[in-house]
Amino acid sequence: MEFGLGSGGGGGGGGDESARRVQVRFTTKLGPPLRVPSASLAVPSNLTRMGLSEIVNLLLKNVNDEHKVQPFDFLIVGELVRLPLEDFLLAKGISAEKVLEIEYIKAIAPRKQPNPSLHDDWVSSVDGSNPSYILTGCYDGIARLWKGGAECTHKLAGHTGAITSAVIINGKDDSKHTFHIATGSKDRSLRLWKVLLSTNFDGIDYSEQPVNVRESKILQGHTASVQSVSSDPSGDMICSGSWDGTIKLWEVKNSDADGDSVSIKKRRLISNTANQVESQLEVEGVAVTTFVGHSQSVSSVIWPEHETIYSASWDHSIRQWDVETGKDTWNMASCKMCGKVLNCLDVGGESSALIAAGGSDPVLRVWDPRKPGSLAPVFQFSSHSSWITACKWHRKSWFHLLSASYDGKVMLWDLRTAWPLAIIDSHKDKVLCADWWKDDSIISGGADSKLLVCSGVSI
Amino acid sequence: MGKSQKSSKEVDELSKEISRDVTANGSTEGINEKDDRFQPSDLVDSLEDEGSPYDSGEDDQDASDYKSHSNAEESDSSEDEVQGSPYDSGEDDQDASDYKSLRSAEESDSSEDEVQGFSYDSGEDDQDASDYKSHRSAEESDSSEDEVPSRNTVGDVPLEWYKEEEHIGYDITGKKIKKRARKDRIESFLAGVDDAKNWRKIYDDYNDEEVELTKEEVKMIHRMLRGKTPHAGVDPYAPYVDWFEWEDKGHPLSNAPEPKRRFIPSKWEQKKVVRYIRAIRKGFLKFDKPKEEPHVYLLWGDDSTAAENKRHGLSYIPAPKPKLAGHEESYNPSVEFIPTQEEINSYQLMLEEDRPKFIPRRFESLRNVPAYENAIKETFDRCLDLYLCPRTRKKRINIDPESLKPKLPSLKDLRPYPSTCYLEYRGHTGPVKTISIDISGQWMASGSSDGTVRVWEIETSRCIKVWDVGEAVNHVTWNPLPELPILSISVGRDVLILDTRLANAENQARVKELLHVEESLLEEDEGNTTPVVRWVRDDKYDAIRLKHLKAVTTIDWHRKGDYFTTVVPSGHTRAILMHQLSKKHTHSPFQKLRGLPVTAVFHPTRSMFFISTKTHVWVYDLLKQKVVKKLETGLQEVSSISIHPGGDNVIVGSKEGKMCWFDMDLSSKPYKTLTSHHMKDITNVAFHRLYPLFASSSEDCTAYVFHGMVYSDLNQNPLIVPLKILRGHNSSKGRGVLDCKFHPRQPWLFTAGADSIIKLYCH
Repeated sequence: MEFGLGSGGGGGGGGDESARRVQVRFTTKLGPPLRVPSASLAVPSNLTRMGLSEIVNLLLKNVNDEHKVQPFDFLIVGELVRLPLEDFLLAKGISAEKVLEIEYIKAIAPRKQPNPSLHDDWVSSVDGSNPSYILTGCYDGIARLWKGGAECTHKLAGHTGAITSAVIINGKDDSKHTFHIATGSKDRSLRLWKVLLSTNFDGIDYSEQPVNVRESKILQGHTASVQSVSSDPSGDMICSGSWDGTIKLWEVKNSDADGDSVSIKKRRLISNTANQVESQLEVEGVAVTTFVGHSQSVSSVIWPEHETIYSASWDHSIRQWDVETGKDTWNMASCKMCGKVLNCLDVGGESSALIAAGGSDPVLRVWDPRKPGSLAPVFQFSSHSSWITACKWHRKSWFHLLSASYDGKVMLWDLRTAWPLAIIDSHKDKVLCADWWKDDSIISGGADSKLLVCSGVSI
Repeated sequence: MGKSQKSSKEVDELSKEISRDVTANGSTEGINEKDDRFQPSDLVDSLEDEGSPYDSGEDDQDASDYKSHSNAEESDSSEDEVQGSPYDSGEDDQDASDYKSLRSAEESDSSEDEVQGFSYDSGEDDQDASDYKSHRSAEESDSSEDEVPSRNTVGDVPLEWYKEEEHIGYDITGKKIKKRARKDRIESFLAGVDDAKNWRKIYDDYNDEEVELTKEEVKMIHRMLRGKTPHAGVDPYAPYVDWFEWEDKGHPLSNAPEPKRRFIPSKWEQKKVVRYIRAIRKGFLKFDKPKEEPHVYLLWGDDSTAAENKRHGLSYIPAPKPKLAGHEESYNPSVEFIPTQEEINSYQLMLEEDRPKFIPRRFESLRNVPAYENAIKETFDRCLDLYLCPRTRKKRINIDPESLKPKLPSLKDLRPYPSTCYLEYRGHTGPVKTISIDISGQWMASGSSDGTVRVWEIETSRCIKVWDVGEAVNHVTWNPLPELPILSISVGRDVLILDTRLANAENQARVKELLHVEESLLEEDEGNTTPVVRWVRDDKYDAIRLKHLKAVTTIDWHRKGDYFTTVVPSGHTRAILMHQLSKKHTHSPFQKLRGLPVTAVFHPTRSMFFISTKTHVWVYDLLKQKVVKKLETGLQEVSSISIHPGGDNVIVGSKEGKMCWFDMDLSSKPYKTLTSHHMKDITNVAFHRLYPLFASSSEDCTAYVFHGMVYSDLNQNPLIVPLKILRGHNSSKGRGVLDCKFHPRQPWLFTAGADSIIKLYCH
């Protein structure tokens, strides 16, 4: 079946070049309404992604008249097409003689939120692990809870220094109505907060409205500013990395019991305009254990599995710690493959084993610790132009991760192509943090004091 | 046969003898001369008759003929002899009798000795006979004719000795042999003309006689000339007679049968050959290839080099060859060689030297080509060139310019070093004059001429603290102790010791305690006649203010964080001051200073102190309180100094853009002076605490990063490699980069610019 491009032959499919054609067959894993007949077509070889997308849309329209035009992305042998088809085949060494199987997926086109949520100071940390709330940490020392990403419902004040890291602790055995928040700050302390979604404090069911955010604990022990906080998957413990080069593990749960049973003197009661944050000072928590090993600031910690903690440090190393023994089981410092200061770290991807990290250079690197012998990064993404401050794997997809950089951009990456899938450059200044939210949105905060939510990132 | 041969031989000899006799007679006795003339010819004739069959004596047939003939002769030999003998008519009886007696002697089987003896006895007076006899005896003893004993016995002496004598020598009996009367030429010629056998005569001047060669002798000579054996009878190819019998003889050396190995191919050789074949096939064994002669050679090659190779000393240098004519100089060149009119016009605009000498033109035929107008001039010029231009041989040394460069390691191996600017710290409104990095690497303090001091968070480039001190800040430094985040700021005449409140709670108390000034101490100080420095509490900034008499330029902390020094350049004897923070005490230990001080720094590990004046750097030992070393910089005006963390190396930057590296173990002169990298004043130089890096910043808006490796091995000199020029700052009022400092832990460089921006260069 010859396929002649009609109007607007996408990708500049010209007449004189149409002599060169490639036999293709479109396949997909998408649902039936978006499935095209599996006959092979001859398409001009100079088509780009846009041209292919137009063809697929035309085909879909032939099948179904009510089809709405939407962009698609195309995979050839597991690689996203980012070049003209001909160049792509040449670069990858794929024969153009055979019928080419092209898989199409929905293209990602992030929609930007028109009015970003403004903070009083730089946004240093965001957490989107709760589908209904976004937690942000700010340089004014206040952590904020944003309902639906738009409305600031709670301010968690208490830190005397800038908040560097804030996480929502989603415990598995937590009741539906409570969750914890942990914040780390430059005042060398961590604070634990308890959020009660619906309580019968007042006998009113607020239904998904957090009425009570209680500061449950102050965790002292670090001698320098806390750089990063991460929670155990079970939600029982948190770990924190600090500028003093140590990683400390803290209990979450028993403090609850303590805090509830042992009545602590109430020093002050701050009534907020938004809601009431009951400050219940001062339950001091002490670190359960301390992991010593990094020689410089631990900039990022991740606790993806119950028994392992990953940490990235300014001493150019990534370490994997065994929680039980407190020893680092895997150390990437020995070989100076990277040799750069590391700012962020995340573990995810294929069977949650790949390590992505970014640091004091514009390259986002992905390592595979299972690969024996070599410590060379398996992927390197270098479209940023400045330090990388945050990188996060998509919680469900093996291929997608995002990175934020001082150049003001948030980039969405797919492991199958070396080019970013999408670039979000709404920030006017450095982007300090970014995260996924609800699996289809990207939230990011930066030095322009904005929290940006980009939705429509359906993976 | 032997006998006949012998007889015929004897005949030869005889005839020879006779002829000799005849000549002898002829020569001695003039009377017989006429007869002599005939006799020899007769003799020869007879001889020829007799010897004719012998002539072709090589033939067996002839020999047999002769044999029979001679056999036949035997019977009537006497008659023959009588008949054929020339002596028939011989007058000399003596001769005849002699001859006869000889003959008879020969015929009979009597011994030769007897005959000899006989003839010998009788031959006293008769020379001829005796001659003959001696000859005979010699003949018998040896067949060689060369050994005929000569008449003369003088031996092998020069014959001139007898030139004047009348005799030519002595015969065997010792009697003189008289010289014969010489025939004059005409006579001898006439004699020769008449004598048909004259060509066979040879004068023997040793014996003073004329010898006539016999026909046999002539034949012999002929044969020898032809390369044959002298005697025809000798058969050179005679069948070989095996005189020894081999077979069936009783005792061979070995009786063993011939072994088998003699007639089967050798296995060992075969193995060897196989091995060689394998080696050749696999290429282990290679044959020398014959040298390939170049088939073509450069016909127009430069023969000057050939001459150069051959000659030595004052050698001939060939004249340069004139340029060969190309296609464009043809009378009818291709169109592409012909310049257009525009091009020809453009030639006029060119300089005389650049203008092309020849402009190609086209002609229909060779006839139309005009005479070359410059021919004579060019020939003359060429001659002039050849004559006047001195041609010298240029010794050109072919040196690869790359090889002259010092061997430097590649920049890849020297990583990490700062190369790219990723972060900028913006906020100051005036030129940032000074920066200082907190020892933990988390904070950076900066002082600007806009009168503010700012503290930045390095990681995020966030300004966390601002102090407005009201006056241009000259210098800021952190206390080197990480637990005491105290900042010292030099502002005009004052030095502020500032609490940054970045310490944690317990250290904060310590800082507060340190920064507390007792008023009583102040009064004590004031009690002195000339208070050097007044320690005053500054409530506004929660700090101590050290009031100096003159403007303070630099501050440097001792590594233990208690002492610090301030430099007051115009302070004369009190230019360098030492302060102790814990006791709030100041003293000026350097009363006598040679030169205007610029900066002063503490040694990073030992109790030493460096004071740099405008031209020298003085190294003091603080314990012994004396000068240890004086470093002669050779610079006009030193602007900055930095000590290697090892403590033995110092770099000094100067206002003329030069930088000196001193190895203090090596000498007090600079080990290396880096001259030409900065166009303008060097504002600061800095060593990295951990990495082998150092940097210099300059007013020309650049900062240079160098690799400066100091080896622990004392024999190895420091390695200095320029790494990177860091640009990015903009010039503001003629000033560029005002300060540069390394991050204490990372290979990062901070530069403070006059454009009020601080930049961080990362690796």
